[in-house]
Amino acid sequence: MTTPAQLLRRRQVFTLATHEVRRSLFSRRSLAVYLLVGMPLALMLLRAFFMPGSMRADASHATTEFAEVFHFFLLRFVVFFANAMIFVRLFRGEILEKSLHYTLLAPLPRTVLVIGKYLGGVLSASLILVTTTTLTYILVYLPHGSAGLQLLLSGSGIANLASYLLIVVLACFAYGALFMLAGLFFKNPMVPAILFLGWETLTPFLPTFLKVLSFVHYLVSFAPVPVSLGAFALLARPVSWWIALLALFISSTLLVFAASRVARHLEVTYSAD
Amino acid sequence: MSTTKIVFRDVSKFYGEVLGVNKVNLEVAPGLTGLVGPNGSGKSTLMHLMTGLLRPSRGEVSVLGVSPDCPEELFRLVGYCTQYDNFPNGSTGLSFLRFALALHGYSKSEADERAWAALTRVGLTDAANRRIAGYSKGMRQRIKLAHAHCHDPQVLVLDEPLNGLDPMGRAEMIDLFTKLAKEGRHVIVSSHILHEVDVISDGVIMIHGGAIVAEGEIREVRGEITSHPIQVLVRCDRPHVVASRLFELEHIVEVRIVQDEGLLVSTRDAPGFFNSFNRIVIDTGVIVETVAPADESVHAVYDYLIGEGLGGGSS
Repeated sequence: MTTPAQLLRRRQVFTLATHEVRRSLFSRRSLAVYLLVGMPLALMLLRAFFMPGSMRADASHATTEFAEVFHFFLLRFVVFFANAMIFVRLFRGEILEKSLHYTLLAPLPRTVLVIGKYLGGVLSASLILVTTTTLTYILVYLPHGSAGLQLLLSGSGIANLASYLLIVVLACFAYGALFMLAGLFFKNPMVPAILFLGWETLTPFLPTFLKVLSFVHYLVSFAPVPVSLGAFALLARPVSWWIALLALFISSTLLVFAASRVARHLEVTYSAD
Repeated sequence: MSTTKIVFRDVSKFYGEVLGVNKVNLEVAPGLTGLVGPNGSGKSTLMHLMTGLLRPSRGEVSVLGVSPDCPEELFRLVGYCTQYDNFPNGSTGLSFLRFALALHGYSKSEADERAWAALTRVGLTDAANRRIAGYSKGMRQRIKLAHAHCHDPQVLVLDEPLNGLDPMGRAEMIDLFTKLAKEGRHVIVSSHILHEVDVISDGVIMIHGGAIVAEGEIREVRGEITSHPIQVLVRCDRPHVVASRLFELEHIVEVRIVQDEGLLVSTRDAPGFFNSFNRIVIDTGVIVETVAPADESVHAVYDYLIGEGLGGGSS
């Protein structure tokens, strides 16, 4: 049975999450995120426009092409930075706007505040990035005409898309938790974000015991189509889906917990920020 | 800790090496309390500590028995109008209040009702659906006040709440504060306009350099300042006669005849003066129009204790 206190917490989390969704999707600052997620779409449109006629007839490469675009551009760049932009702003954005105190003056525990904002960020990021990934996926197949469409709508085409979308959503949970914490901890969270991007990029070339310290290592285990990571990549045994899911869940939970600990000691000293 | 007072026990706050407030001990009773001090004296730090936006480096704060570490309890009791003139991007007056009330747990209809009631109290119903970014300074001040009291708190902490308001607006807000204080609430108002603090406050807290220099009712505070003689203004028909008799008294420091004002008497013993003055009136038969304290005001007390010109900014 739900107690009145639980009901209140749920209502507060819902209010915070919907507020964050509105801020993330419709504020002027979201423009940077939209420009970023517009990049793969623009690239795919250019590809479709300049594709030689001989290639249009052959759709067999589309699956591999999307896999490469996804691994090297969408996941490691677009998804990563879109999450950084959305989640860093959850707290840091309000500190810079000098409006965080309005939320801190509400009768809610800081943990509820962190969870509400985090869920709002996950919803917004997932909505934007799932749409972007789906559109990019479609744009890879569409220039191939009916052959591409057939491949796209086939069982494996849909299943592959579902796997990519799962990776994107999981990435939003994991990177989101990390960047929200960074936004609470650092005055300029983009510096640690770039350092972490370097770490994520280096992952294929690291020994297994270091690979486990990156998100991308777990995320790519859901990828339906493997890609070559180059001659210097150190191959490791693929992680089973349930270990990957567990690792991402535990790390995200720990990061959100750490964020709520930091938020508990958060003070309003805008001039110092 | 008291459940009817705001209590500071040995509270200090440091910003790194910089002192915010130092060893503050305070007990604020219900009513309208003025918080005065020059820029950088620690007024806003004190208010932030009261509302949990800052945590004390040492000591403890309790608001009606609740620690600022329990925001879920504290902010049902407290409303805070800060000095910050920023608002969530894109908010309208109504959506801003609705969001705050939704976080308090009110249903949509209750939140709407309370939001409109608060907007009505501060005279912003016409601008309810306009973006706050387009509001004038006075309107922004009003919406902050509406935000601070829309959930009907027992304690209202108001940092320079009259800034930016026109004279009519000031009068309306002062009426509102007085009404809320008369209902038994705590209304703590910081202001650099001493005259206003004097008019509206039941008590005063004076802060300087992060330390509380005086606290209590103005008359009590003034009475404790023994380094400055108490000044009394006397209006009567033959001031020179009264002046000559007053000079005979030992505790009289100075008697000045002020053109069109009367006699300004400085004494080291106020009760002694009033006793002797009654005798003089009976003996000389002068007709007395007024006898009133001339320096039992926040301004005078502030001058005696702090002795600096007040600026208009925040601290």
